[in-house]
Amino acid sequence: MTKDFALTTTSHPGDVCVISLAGYLDAHTASRLEEAMQTAISGGCRKVIVDFAELEYISSAGLGVFMVFIESVRSDGGDIKLAAMKAKVFTVFDLLGFPVLFEIYPTVPEALEAFGPAA
Amino acid sequence: MTTANNDIPILTVSATTERLADVRDFVRARLVGLGFTEIEEQGIVLAVDEACSNLIRHAFQNDASKTFTVAVTATDADVRVEIRDMSPAFDPCCAGLPDMAAYFRDRRAGGLGILIMTRVMDDIDYHPSGNGTPFNTLVLTKHRSAR
Repeated sequence: MTKDFALTTTSHPGDVCVISLAGYLDAHTASRLEEAMQTAISGGCRKVIVDFAELEYISSAGLGVFMVFIESVRSDGGDIKLAAMKAKVFTVFDLLGFPVLFEIYPTVPEALEAFGPAA
Repeated sequence: MTTANNDIPILTVSATTERLADVRDFVRARLVGLGFTEIEEQGIVLAVDEACSNLIRHAFQNDASKTFTVAVTATDADVRVEIRDMSPAFDPCCAGLPDMAAYFRDRRAGGLGILIMTRVMDDIDYHPSGNGTPFNTLVLTKHRSAR
């Protein structure tokens, strides 16, 4: 059944959080990502990396979660960086032009490095 | 899943987002062997997911007591996904599509489902209920002529 979705949040030095996604992110599961993002940001995380390595599917409901938070995070001097997407997931981001607004990295370590030495 | 008189499988879905996975599985299974690439298959599945998400959330307000149906038919020329419902009519073909430059500039969220449908499918047709037909029908078509 293509409905399983899981996520884990890990904290790193320098106010960095990595939110790792797995499974299927759709209109049913997007609220769980929104809650995790809210929790991380409310807890002081300003540099968010979303690890897509195990994510198999995303719909517009999933894309919308990143739009909800990007302004507040950037206004606090942080960012949401995306990493390790499978081609089929990147295709959905690219279809609507999301790479214009979001930095997308091949790997999580590269996204961490992009946040600078404090990260 | 039921079968129509002409043996086309029809999935009846309760109007809750929990059932979106069933819709995706149903559609994906019917695309196997039709010659689409994995990315093309995913695009069709995504378009149907977006259509059903809109229906469930906006037309049916997540009321799981309501239902709609999904059917997939394939010919040599194309694949057609028909979604039928009895909610108040809403024609996605008439909805304004977002300007993505303004969308990103204004940091909007939501409202991208119909745009996705238009970008991955070749045709979108909507037939509202009336004239003796009790249900609305949304038809998403992807051509196979290029393969």
